[in-house]
Amino acid sequence: MEETGMGLRLIPASFFMLIEDMKGRIFSSGIEHKKARWGWIFIIPSLAFFSLFSFYPIFNALYTSLFTKKLLSLARPRFIGIDNYVYLLQSPDFWNSIRATVVFTLGTFVPMVVFSLIFALFIMSRKRFQKFFQMAYYSPAVLSSVVVAAIWLLMLDPRGLANQWVNFILNTPGIDHKWLADSAMVQISTMMVYFWKYVGYFTIIFLVGLGSIPKSIHEAARTDGAGGWTDFWYITLPLLKPTTVLVSIMSMLQCLKTFSTQYLFTQGGAPMEPINVITLNLYYTTIRDRSIGLASAMSIILFCMMLFFTWLQFKTFRSEEVHY
Amino acid sequence: MFYNDVSSMGGDMMKKLYIFSMMVLFFTVTVSAAVAEVELTYWTHEDPNRTEIENRYIKEFETANPGVKVNRVTSPSGKMAEKVLTAFAANRGPDMFNMEIEQEYAYIVNRRLAPIDFKAVGYPSDKAIYDAYLPRVLDPATLEGKLYGLPLELTNWCIYVNDRIFKSAGLDPAKDTPKTWEDMVAVSEKIVIREGQIIKRRGFDFRYPYYLVSMVPMVEQLGGKLISDDGKKAIINDQAWIKFLTFMKEWGPNGKNLGSPTYTPARTLFNKDKNDIAMCESGLYQQGRISKDNPEFYNSKEWRVIPYPVFKNAVKNVAGNYYGHYFVVNAEKPKENQQMTWKLIGYMLSHAEEYLSKVGLIQPTLKLVKSDTYKAMPYANVFKEDMERGHIVYYGENSAKIQDQIREAVESVMLAGASPEGALEKLKRRAQEALEER
Repeated sequence: MEETGMGLRLIPASFFMLIEDMKGRIFSSGIEHKKARWGWIFIIPSLAFFSLFSFYPIFNALYTSLFTKKLLSLARPRFIGIDNYVYLLQSPDFWNSIRATVVFTLGTFVPMVVFSLIFALFIMSRKRFQKFFQMAYYSPAVLSSVVVAAIWLLMLDPRGLANQWVNFILNTPGIDHKWLADSAMVQISTMMVYFWKYVGYFTIIFLVGLGSIPKSIHEAARTDGAGGWTDFWYITLPLLKPTTVLVSIMSMLQCLKTFSTQYLFTQGGAPMEPINVITLNLYYTTIRDRSIGLASAMSIILFCMMLFFTWLQFKTFRSEEVHY
Repeated sequence: MFYNDVSSMGGDMMKKLYIFSMMVLFFTVTVSAAVAEVELTYWTHEDPNRTEIENRYIKEFETANPGVKVNRVTSPSGKMAEKVLTAFAANRGPDMFNMEIEQEYAYIVNRRLAPIDFKAVGYPSDKAIYDAYLPRVLDPATLEGKLYGLPLELTNWCIYVNDRIFKSAGLDPAKDTPKTWEDMVAVSEKIVIREGQIIKRRGFDFRYPYYLVSMVPMVEQLGGKLISDDGKKAIINDQAWIKFLTFMKEWGPNGKNLGSPTYTPARTLFNKDKNDIAMCESGLYQQGRISKDNPEFYNSKEWRVIPYPVFKNAVKNVAGNYYGHYFVVNAEKPKENQQMTWKLIGYMLSHAEEYLSKVGLIQPTLKLVKSDTYKAMPYANVFKEDMERGHIVYYGENSAKIQDQIREAVESVMLAGASPEGALEKLKRRAQEALEER
C-alpha cells in the first residue's frame, strides 16, 4: 500500500498510548481492574480468531483489489489503483449482478422476517405439539445447500412435483410454469427455496424473543382490557424490537451473501443472467476467469453494500428501547 | 550410599534406553526414506471403468519402480477445474492431472506445466512422439515448439439413437434417422410426447452447456466462426449466428417446445431406456456406460450411432468439434518427480487398446487407429469419419468465459424470449472483451 509519512508517524504514537492504557487497565490492582483483566483474557482468543479469519481476509481483499492479478500467472501483480472499481461500476454485467442481488434480498428477507414472526406466534399459541412444530419448521435449516438444491431441482423440473401440485390446485393440467426456465420464475424459485430453508431458523430466534417477554405484562394488559391485537401491537411488538432488529439484519446479510442456491440451479440448467448475484459473479470471475484482483474488488463492493444496509437498518430501528 | 548406587544405575539405564530409542528412530526414518523416495499425486475425474484399469496400471508401475508411490485422487468432472486451480494458486498442485484442453491451456500459457521428457515417456525424440500420433492432435498442447501434454482421450460426439423409441413412433431407424438439423426437428416432432406444455418424451436434446464442442460447429456449417483466423476478432458472420440463434429459439419452450436446458440431460436418461429420450449426443465412451448401466439394452443392439447432422443449406460440412483430455505434469515439482510422472504417463498410455475396449477412450495414436481393437469397436468408423470432418474445439486463455457467454446468448433466446439480433449484439461485445482480456 502507498505510505503517507504523516500517517506513519502518528500510528506508532497512538499504538503505544493504547498499549500503555491497556497495561494500566490490565495490570493495575483493584477489583474492577481485576474483572476487566479476566474479561480481556476471555475475549482475546476470539478477537485473535476473528482478526485472523475475518479482518485479515478483508484487508487482504482490499489490497488485492488494487492490483491486476491472475491466479495462475507467475508474473508480479501490477498496481492499478481503483481501475478495477471503475471497470465494475461501468460494467453492465456487474450492474445486472447488483440488480439480481437486491431483488433477491428484498424478495426474500422481508417475507422471511414477517413469516418467521407469524410462525413463532402460531407456535407460541399452541397448547400441544409445540416441539413438533418447532422441529418441522427448523428441519430444512439443518440440510446442506447441495441437498436442498438437489431436492428442489427435482421438484421444479417441468415433470416434477411443483408443476403437478400447482396444476392440481389451479386445475390447469399440462401447464409448464417454467420454474427454472422463465427469467422471473427462476428468481422466484430461488427466493422460494431460500425462504423454505431459513424461515425456521429465524422462527426459533423469534420464539426465544417472545419467550423472554414476561407473562405478567400480558396478564396486566389483559386485566386492563387489551384484546389480542392490541396486546400484540402495543406490548409484544415493541418489546420484541431487539429480536426483530437481530432477525432483520441477520436475514438481510444472509440474503446479500447468497450463493449456493443460484450456483446449483445454474449448474442444473437454469439460465444464469436473471440469478447472477454478486457472489456468483465473483465465483466465476475467480474460478473461470482467474481474475482475483477484479473478484476482490467485487467482494469489497459487496462488503460496503452490507455495511450500508446494516447501518440503514440500525438507523431505521433506532429509538429508545421499550420497557414496561 | 545404597540410594546413590540405585540412582546411578537408574541413570545409566535411562541413558541406554535413550540412545537405543534414538537409534530405532533414526533407523526407521532412514529406512522409510529409502523405501518411499518419490510420492506422486495424480488427480483425475471420476469414471468407474477407467478407475479399474488405472489402479491396476499404478500397482504394476509401483512394483516395477520400487520407491515410487502413486496416489490417485478422483473428483466429479465438473469440480476438477476449481480444485486444480485452487491447488495451483496455493502452489499445492498435484504432480499430474488431466482436464479438457480448454481448461488446461491456461496452465500451459502461464508456464505452470513441465514440457515433456520424451525419454521418460519412452520415445527416442520429440519428433518421434509427433510421428506416433495422428496429425495435429498434439497441437493444442504445444507452445513455442515444446510439447506439454499427451492425450488421455480425444473425443468427439455423434448421435446415439434408441431404435425401440423410433419404432414405437412409427419410424424406421434404418431409414428415418436425421441427416440434417431440419430432419432432426421433423423427427423430434414425430417422437415427442407432451402433456400440455410439459414434455414427457423428447426426440433429441442438445448437450447443454458444452456450447463450444456441440453448437459452435452448427454456426460453422452456416458460414460463421467463433474467432477470426488472425485470432483478433470474435463472432464472425452475423447472419450465420442469427440463423443459429433462431434455430435454438425455435427448438426451445417458447418455440416448437422440443427440449430445454432445464430438463434432465439427454445423455443421463439415454442409457436407462425408459422411453423418455430417443437420441442424445455423446462419445464413444457412452457405449461402455450403456453396457454397465443397462446390459440388456446394450446387448439387444437396438441402438445405433449416426453422424453429426448438417444444415440443409450448409456452407461447410463440419461435424461436432472434438476435445481432448491431456495428461500434464506440474512444473513446480522436483525434477525427479517430474521425470517419474512422465514415466508413469508413458506406461499408462502404452495400454491404448485397453483404454479403448474397456473405457471407450480413443488415444489418437496411429497404432491404435490401425488396430483390430479399434476396428472392432461398434460404430468406430462413424466417430472416425466425424472426427475427420471436425476440428479441435476452440481453446484459449478465456475459452471458458466465451463458452459461458454463448450459453447466456442461447438461454436468452430460448428461455427469456430475447430476439436473436439483440442476443447477438450482446454476445459480440462480451466475447470481444473476453478475447482482448478487457
